[in-house]
Amino acid sequence: MSGDSDRIKSWEKLLEAGLKATEHNQDEEAKMYPLRKQFRPAAPNIAKASLKRDFEVGLVYYVGDDVEQDRALCGLEKKPPTAHTFKEALERKRKILEESGIMKELGFDKKKGYFKY
Amino acid sequence: MGTKVSSGSTGTKYGYFLGCVMPAKMPWAEKATFLVSKHLGLDFDYMKESVCCVRPGVWKAINPDWWLTLTSQNLATAEKQNIVIVDSCNGCYISHWECLQELKEDPEKLEMVNRNLEKAGLQVTLSTDVKHFLQVLYEDVGIGKIKANVVKPLNIRIMRHIGCHARKHDERFPMYFDEIMRATGATIVDTPYDKTCCGLLLYFADPKTSIFERIGVKMQTAKELDIDAYALICSGCYDQFERAVKVYKDEKGIAFETPIVHFSELLALSFGYKPEDFGMMYCRPIPPTKLIQKLKEGK
Repeated sequence: MSGDSDRIKSWEKLLEAGLKATEHNQDEEAKMYPLRKQFRPAAPNIAKASLKRDFEVGLVYYVGDDVEQDRALCGLEKKPPTAHTFKEALERKRKILEESGIMKELGFDKKKGYFKY
Repeated sequence: MGTKVSSGSTGTKYGYFLGCVMPAKMPWAEKATFLVSKHLGLDFDYMKESVCCVRPGVWKAINPDWWLTLTSQNLATAEKQNIVIVDSCNGCYISHWECLQELKEDPEKLEMVNRNLEKAGLQVTLSTDVKHFLQVLYEDVGIGKIKANVVKPLNIRIMRHIGCHARKHDERFPMYFDEIMRATGATIVDTPYDKTCCGLLLYFADPKTSIFERIGVKMQTAKELDIDAYALICSGCYDQFERAVKVYKDEKGIAFETPIVHFSELLALSFGYKPEDFGMMYCRPIPPTKLIQKLKEGK
């Protein structure tokens, strides 16, 4: 495949979601401030959406109503016994992220829910 | 359901680590894994309170010390629950296993990790172990006992994708995979693409190669060879297979028909469980209708 036919829209959406979760889009700002030197942020744009979910849930994927229904159809408990259910596990993870300085280094603002860069 | 040949246990308390993909996208695999494990008499339960492994492909690239710290939360939780962590996702296995090895070999890293975990009331003492599900079945249960529990041999032809991280210990895990799959009666068809990566880690950087030259080539080969099912064990690889199949279907108008099945599903079927016992027909991008029909007709 070549040309426009090999575009992967779902990948482009993922990148877009990462950029939406970024306060300062360096490519955009470079148009206004062409002399400003760009740098590589700790978290790549393409990975930001999944990192954000990880910080919110403790795992990369949500378990919503549709997934709960699928799980029940397969004979499982609706909620898996992971951090999806045990919120204290998520709290511990957030505490580790916060106290060890990882969040700060990543530039993730948990209140606003986005990365600075 | 098949008759249990022996209910003997290995004496180990196993905690199954679900990871991110399985509970959200592969409930049929989760259920089948539990059916098989209980059937074989293992002391097998969920590892509770688990968080993301965390993905080594992402976190190690960002900062190896952060990866060590975050992965250690699961090791510390497993220690508290007095369990051996069992991973069937190769990515989760490699994250937990390599983290444990590194902490065993480097006291300074262990100290650093414990300094960070302490803030959440956790500690790693290195008292747990990490095993791949293939290891549990082949080394702890044994191929003889698995074969003895096969009551409904599967007369099907499969392609298999074992995954890159399952090759961590040379060809040991791939050999376990193949022997166990052959024990179900399935015929494994070898192709030049069996060792090709699923492209999951490549997806972020080069989605076109990742989709079209990895999964695309594999699924096209399965179609040409008229394979009954594509068997895999790794949830991370499944995630990429599912993603690629959806890209082909939704964005390119190409619908592949070979169902992507989990290793445990085929094992459960060969033990005499029915597809409806683990919801085999639900929530998957390629319904295994033809496969189920073939198995029912015993062709």
